[in-house]
Amino acid sequence: MVELRTPRKTSKASKMDANGETASLKKRKREPKEETTASQKRQRSKPKTQPAAANGNVDDTTDSQESTLFENKDLQTTNGDLELTDASNTLTTCNTSAWKVSNPMGGRMLDIDPIFSLDERYLLITYNTSIQVYSTEDSLLVRRISLPITKLDSGTELSSPHIVASVLSASAPEFLWVACSDGRIWHLNWATGEGAETPFTIDVKKVLDMTVESVDIRDKQEDVLFILQKLTKSSAQIVAYDLKALRTKTGKLIHTYDENPQLLRSAAGGRLIVAAAKETLHIGTLKSKGKTVKAVDDLEYAFHSFGVPDLVTCLDIRPTLQTTKKGGIEIQFVDLVIGCARGAIYVYGDLLSKLPGSATKGVPIQPRKLHWHRRAVHSVKWSEDGNYLISGGAETVLVLWQLDTGKRDFLPHLSATIENIVVSPKGSSYALHLDDNSAMVLSTAEMKPTTYVSGIQSLVLSDKPSKESLVRRVWRSVDEISTPLITTSNPTNPSQIFLCVGNGQQASSTGNAPSTPLIQVFDVSSFQGVSKHPIARTNPTDTNMTSQGAPIIEPRVTKMAFSHDGKWLASVDEWQPPERDLEPLLTGSKTTCEVSRERREIYLKFWEIDAEDNSLQLVSRINEAHFTTESETILDVASDPISSRFASLGTDGVVRFWSPKLRRKDGLASTGPEGQQLRTWSCSRAVELPAYGQLEEAVEVSPKTPRSGALAFSEDGSVLFAAYGPSSGAVVAVIDTATGAIRDTIPDLSRGDIRGVEAVSSSLIILSEDLTVYDIVSDEVQYSFALKETSEAAKQMTHLAVNRESRSFAVAAPIPNSSQEKLKKGAKSELVVFSVNEEVPQLIQTFPQVITAVLPATNSAGFVAVDAAAQIWSITESGEQAQMLQPLADLNMEESASAVAPVDHAVEDGEASDEEMQDADADVEMEDDDYDVHQAVVAPQKLAEIFNAAPAFAMAPIEDIFNQVASLFSTRPSTI
Amino acid sequence: MAAEVQPLATLKLPTVVSPITAEQRYWKSFKNQKSHTSTAAWPISHISFPGSTNGSAASHSLVAAAKLNDLFAVTSGPRVDIFSIRKRELLKTIGRFDSQAHSGEIRADGRVLVAGEDSGKMQVFDVGTGTRAVILKTWHVHKQPVWVTKWSPTELTTLMSCSDDKTVRLWDLPSNAPSRLFAGHQDYVRSGAFMPDRNNLLVSGSYDSTVRVWDARAPAGSVLTFKHADPIEEVLPLPGGTTLLAATGSAISVLDLVAAKPLRLITNHQKTVTSLSLASNGRRVVSGSLDGHVKVFETTNWNVVSGSKYPSPILSLSVIAAGSGHEDRHLAVGMQSGVLSLRTRLSGATAEKARARAVEDALMVSGASSKLAKIDSAKAKRKRNAASNKSMALLGENVDVIIPTDAPNSAGGRKRRVKLKPWQRDFREGRYAACLDAVLDLSSPEYQPVTALSVLVALRHRSALREALEGRDEVTVLPLLKWVIKYISDPRYATVCVDVAFQLFDIYSEYVGGSSELADQFAVMTGKVSREVEKAQMAIITNGMVQSLMIGGAEA
Repeated sequence: MVELRTPRKTSKASKMDANGETASLKKRKREPKEETTASQKRQRSKPKTQPAAANGNVDDTTDSQESTLFENKDLQTTNGDLELTDASNTLTTCNTSAWKVSNPMGGRMLDIDPIFSLDERYLLITYNTSIQVYSTEDSLLVRRISLPITKLDSGTELSSPHIVASVLSASAPEFLWVACSDGRIWHLNWATGEGAETPFTIDVKKVLDMTVESVDIRDKQEDVLFILQKLTKSSAQIVAYDLKALRTKTGKLIHTYDENPQLLRSAAGGRLIVAAAKETLHIGTLKSKGKTVKAVDDLEYAFHSFGVPDLVTCLDIRPTLQTTKKGGIEIQFVDLVIGCARGAIYVYGDLLSKLPGSATKGVPIQPRKLHWHRRAVHSVKWSEDGNYLISGGAETVLVLWQLDTGKRDFLPHLSATIENIVVSPKGSSYALHLDDNSAMVLSTAEMKPTTYVSGIQSLVLSDKPSKESLVRRVWRSVDEISTPLITTSNPTNPSQIFLCVGNGQQASSTGNAPSTPLIQVFDVSSFQGVSKHPIARTNPTDTNMTSQGAPIIEPRVTKMAFSHDGKWLASVDEWQPPERDLEPLLTGSKTTCEVSRERREIYLKFWEIDAEDNSLQLVSRINEAHFTTESETILDVASDPISSRFASLGTDGVVRFWSPKLRRKDGLASTGPEGQQLRTWSCSRAVELPAYGQLEEAVEVSPKTPRSGALAFSEDGSVLFAAYGPSSGAVVAVIDTATGAIRDTIPDLSRGDIRGVEAVSSSLIILSEDLTVYDIVSDEVQYSFALKETSEAAKQMTHLAVNRESRSFAVAAPIPNSSQEKLKKGAKSELVVFSVNEEVPQLIQTFPQVITAVLPATNSAGFVAVDAAAQIWSITESGEQAQMLQPLADLNMEESASAVAPVDHAVEDGEASDEEMQDADADVEMEDDDYDVHQAVVAPQKLAEIFNAAPAFAMAPIEDIFNQVASLFSTRPSTI
Repeated sequence: MAAEVQPLATLKLPTVVSPITAEQRYWKSFKNQKSHTSTAAWPISHISFPGSTNGSAASHSLVAAAKLNDLFAVTSGPRVDIFSIRKRELLKTIGRFDSQAHSGEIRADGRVLVAGEDSGKMQVFDVGTGTRAVILKTWHVHKQPVWVTKWSPTELTTLMSCSDDKTVRLWDLPSNAPSRLFAGHQDYVRSGAFMPDRNNLLVSGSYDSTVRVWDARAPAGSVLTFKHADPIEEVLPLPGGTTLLAATGSAISVLDLVAAKPLRLITNHQKTVTSLSLASNGRRVVSGSLDGHVKVFETTNWNVVSGSKYPSPILSLSVIAAGSGHEDRHLAVGMQSGVLSLRTRLSGATAEKARARAVEDALMVSGASSKLAKIDSAKAKRKRNAASNKSMALLGENVDVIIPTDAPNSAGGRKRRVKLKPWQRDFREGRYAACLDAVLDLSSPEYQPVTALSVLVALRHRSALREALEGRDEVTVLPLLKWVIKYISDPRYATVCVDVAFQLFDIYSEYVGGSSELADQFAVMTGKVSREVEKAQMAIITNGMVQSLMIGGAEA
């Protein structure tokens, strides 16, 4: 129990030095108000032992010190920015101690077709900051080739560079061409990972797209890159480069448009190029009749263009080649398919013959129209034999069109919008990239997944606008991250983190705030999504649009906390009806905003974690946990570190304690199907917090002003700290958890809205516009800093996490950026690690992306940060080993992984994806139960459970382990 | 991989004060009442059936085993009637008593019966043979009426008796004298029992308001005495042998024998509690009282979980269990008026059949032949399926591969897909108006208010409420209005009803002039809402008054 009744000292932090300033924090600025605060504190402490006069002296001296600091503020800020110019690496480090930051893992798959290696053994997926090579056999990450995309010095640019295309080299299949929008072109050997450091650079305004073809140059097959680059706002050009031209930066200009094409595709060894600009297609055919091509400069194309009925979002070419009499190859005919923004698919059969001889524009060519999709077609592809089309979009349905009969086949209810479809080189499988940051390989015969790669699903700041936004819609997708990612970790399972996510990026960012009805359980050690559970209302099988075309908004999970033993999870979700529905409900002088607020649904839910399969089961749902005349926002939920108890704080100014009790029905204890006792959660105590006005001088605060607050239990669970109040003055109340009595109230520890409160031993850390570390025992502020960024967005994205193991805490905040108000693309964050007792930061680290969540690593002295690029960073004290996945290549395990030993053959296929949707009880219309065809399906975490059950010296006998493993593989896979 | 289509989840409303609980449903399922009036309407003083036997007795003979647990005895006036549990019919009447008979008890093996009588005689009859019961043994040791005769649950030849001569005696069947005599009660001893699982312990309750526990091994008097305020009418040891119930006046006291202290006094009855019985394998206790009430208690916290009222004071009751699982079969209640009421609970397959028959009867009466045909065809199909499965199973001996005829639902672990109801299909496919019409149809047999509420809430979540309400004519909008009027006063439905009402006003108010029906319904709704508003105002006023009182009280 923290002793609170010790004599108080009122001295403010007495030692402060100039070193502590960082890009997001500055030494606390003492304003005149501070004087009054100090005097208040003196008044409070007068009966106590400390002489007041001495305190005054101390205060005076510190004030004078800080005022000089404050004057230096501008200088310091520029210093902070200067620090950031060291840009070649992704990070800027200013280490003062042993803390270090790992390389990031994960990222978000880009809207670029995944690439099969020619033998179909590997799948190359383009992420926002890396290329990742996965084995299709066991879904394991083989290699991660990190690309330094973001430059830290480009802080003021609104559009930051991003990868626009990655194409397999046509002549050397172990090479990959990757184009970045700022003109950098990487030539990577994906089998070894070489080439990431030495990009070619071409001088362009912006690269829009790129394709690679292998062209016969001097009777040698060489890669020629066709790069679509932006010229002016409304014009673009195609330039061809080969390796030589890339070195000299002088490509061959092939065509210039006075429009602005976005898509570029080529086929048949460069004999055909297709570029799509909004509603026009440009087709270029190679003119090199008869003479051999000696260099890139000899490439000549004849371009035709014609209008298409709709905005093109995707296209696929299917050339049929024939051998000429002379032994050369020429195109016999070309079939082209385009997918459009309004849902139609147009098929142009034998296009070349229909093109007029001259490049006249606007000649109508009649395509065949296939219309099933309601919204934009995100991807359409020809099957290998050309008899089928495969298309997908926001309906989350994979559609197979049989072209001869017009019959459609469906693979419905996938987990998110289908972004990309790729047909494998042999045509035996499809790779799908879904919007929930996952990719899967489906076998064409059975339509069952054989490979599944699922990344962290948090929202990212995307580089390209969605294909949906080409057409004006009644909603607008969100282009900023306005709410932090809600994450937590299970204290009993350190390798897993729980993230609140939505049904894919596009589906979840349609409302005012992102809707996040799902929990994704993400395993950091294997770096795979383990499962997803709905914890708020969601229905992936129903249409996600109203008949008016507005998106249906799902609830947003705002808080989440595990109980100390990891058996219970408390979650808060919020939903309010969209204002457009509420026009008829207006009465009197109410605004739609108020009416919507009245109809808010805020639920506090308690979930029981199943010990066996970690599934969540809803135990209690509290409809209006905090209410006045309407449901009140729940500001924070904290978990008791000693017992199964939660505390919640709402805007009604009440702290409620929640504890489990045996469930009774009509006075009888109710039991589950196996006779086990059922429990239910209920409010065991409610403590009304004192309003600031009641404390000392009566400051009238209208009840309508927004309140903020946060909760933290002391380490022994005996005391709950509740910081709550309007931004004009929040108060920290110290509540005895045993009796519910308010032991003490401490005003003036915060400035502005409360963003977080944490307690470590006797220190209380309060994050508001100031970062204050306050010692409860000695009743003094140990040190405090002021945050530079105080905007609304920054308020949301400021994080505080405490690691009790290392007695340290981390604060992450966005770095102020004068050129943008909201946290959009290009915003950066800074993370500062403090040791509780030391005022000097242990680590100051700038991150190239906004950090959306920070959480303490379970059972180790570090932190885990998730950024707006869906990457995970591990921040550890040196000596600690981050529990993060290493790609197989880094472990030198690739060979053994590809050797078909039974254990390594743990095909992740059905299992992982089944688990992912286990809540929805996997079922596909097209799939049949023939498990016997498949090999044993074992999720890696099941193996991990066996092998990581105990430390090596305490392991079960080897026979037992063998039996366990054998039983895993020998049993029929159970459908979960 | 792909998610399965789930039907719309029904909302879970907060439980309100008096829904029918599962327990009440259970006890309500004891219906199918059969009344049996005793000869000359003698009051039914005792009902008993042989309790569970402990193995050894069960395997005496095939006949006995067949008859086992099929008999129960009802004592009324100078008669003991023996009934069949299965058939609920009177099998035999034993009338060879000189005076009022008491406590006719059948032994656990179902062969002999013992009863006491007012004259002080105790007689043992042979139950099995002939119509006229043979007297096997007679004791005439008690000089006052013998009120209790009971067989030991463990030893077939041991029995006890309690008499108005203030004594409790222990008997051995072959001998003529009691093997033990327990003296100590100061008044009539009207109840007694063997303690289960404790061979030598007996318990008795007397009109001297004491419950005494006797030990056959201890030489002296009672080993434990509980003094009550009122005479003891009945004692009932609970299984386990550590807890004892005693009916004392209108109360039932719960006594803990291990801690030797009373645990609780249950005071749910208004008049003297006359009988207690175990039910549901000892997890419930049923009590009957002179106030005509039967109450069912759970045995952990002794809350009343169910109850029912009978027309006459209850003198005796028993919950008769039968079958392998000792399920509650009959609730037998004997009354002052001489009526024995037998209420029976159908279980398992029997209940299923009875239900199906009831449905068919109802349809036959109403003349809906098409539905009947449907039921018939469904039944025939079930039968065919069963038959074909059976034939396959029989084939199993000789063939190599058996292809099961129906889906591998249980074996494969894969659930069969739930078929969506029409309204669920409408909802899923966006025909919201049709869906709403279906669930709001008050006359539909499947109508449930909570389904309607779930659909309305889901429509609000899907921003489709207005779409579902729009575009109706006079005929189709009226059911909506009526539903809203019906439920707008229910606090659980109010918020949704208010939203719907707002929308309806917004859409249809312009047509009120043209339709008197619509105008009427709107007027009715206004009336209902204003009444609710008045009630709310009254509540607020009352609240204010109470609060001022509370403040006054706190100051004082």
